Amino acid sequence: MRRIKDNALSIAFLVLFLACLAGQAVAGRLDYNERQLVNGGEPVSLLQYAFSSDYAVDVAENWQSEYLQFFLFIMVTVWLVQRGSPESKEPGKEGAESDQEQLVGAHARPGSPAWARAKGLRLRLYSNSLGLTMGVIFLLSWGAQSVAGQAAYNAERLADLRDPVGWGSYVTSPDFWNRSLQNWQSELLAVLSMVVLSIYLRQRGSPESKPVGAPHSATGVEG
Amino acid sequence: MRLLVGALLAALAAGCAGCAADTAGPARAAERFHAALASGRFESACGLLAPKTAEKLPAPGRTCADALREQRLGPGGRPTEVSVWDDEAQVRLEGDTLFLHHFGDGWRVVAAGCAPVRDLPYECGVEN
Repeated sequence: MRRIKDNALSIAFLVLFLACLAGQAVAGRLDYNERQLVNGGEPVSLLQYAFSSDYAVDVAENWQSEYLQFFLFIMVTVWLVQRGSPESKEPGKEGAESDQEQLVGAHARPGSPAWARAKGLRLRLYSNSLGLTMGVIFLLSWGAQSVAGQAAYNAERLADLRDPVGWGSYVTSPDFWNRSLQNWQSELLAVLSMVVLSIYLRQRGSPESKPVGAPHSATGVEG
Repeated sequence: MRLLVGALLAALAAGCAGCAADTAGPARAAERFHAALASGRFESACGLLAPKTAEKLPAPGRTCADALREQRLGPGGRPTEVSVWDDEAQVRLEGDTLFLHHFGDGWRVVAAGCAPVRDLPYECGVEN
């Protein structure tokens, strides 16, 4: 029970994620089957739909944009600040900061991760592991979107009695960039809203907000 | 993390419908369709059409077989190129280009006697 309570945030989001993924499959299948019937095809089962390029591209295009959002947020906030935002460091602290501030090498503490005590490549790798992981998952998901997108796009083109296109043509096509950019713009707007609104607005008890009584000018303070 | 990478690979595999697709099925269906036409078995050829295509093909009061006979589609020949994406396929024969859809009972011809029109849809003698 204690274990569940200690990990409640992760568990809650995992459950919500799986429920939404399943819900997307159910709703996506109904939509897909409607289009199939209009085009003279046959409806597909939920399992068939879950392994279709139509579902894969819809999932991947959202994943890539979420990981891009976090990758950018993590990397850009190293160098850029926003006065008054709890999402930002204090002005003047831009950059990778000193070993002392980052508790690495000789400044590592007894509870520090082993790789924080290491030197050279291992330390560099671990020091950037969060951004790198987000960036790699973004590239993998974007790659998955391009492959699944090409398949879904070509199926649509064939149904319209048109020639299929190669991967190179697909990743320069309006379909690929429309799918990518429509997700990116919404993610960037969400980050911008969070950075700016959190200067002036509060959510009592949330670590994503400043304490209710904190001044608007206080930066990097989380409640 | 492993779960995430696995999910991404699954998405890639699902999306890669054209990478290891079965090209033999649609090629066989296209050849069978043209073989039926060439031997005058128009009823059999109609049986290889997608339901919507077979329904739309004849003018009122005519049969699908009559309509196919009147189309006078030329010989198909051997397959030269097959593209399969999800449930859709395009089969290029030496003498024709066909579009097919995969139904529960196999591949059926959606359009035949097709000629390309730049990047627009092909113009087909038989289509849905």
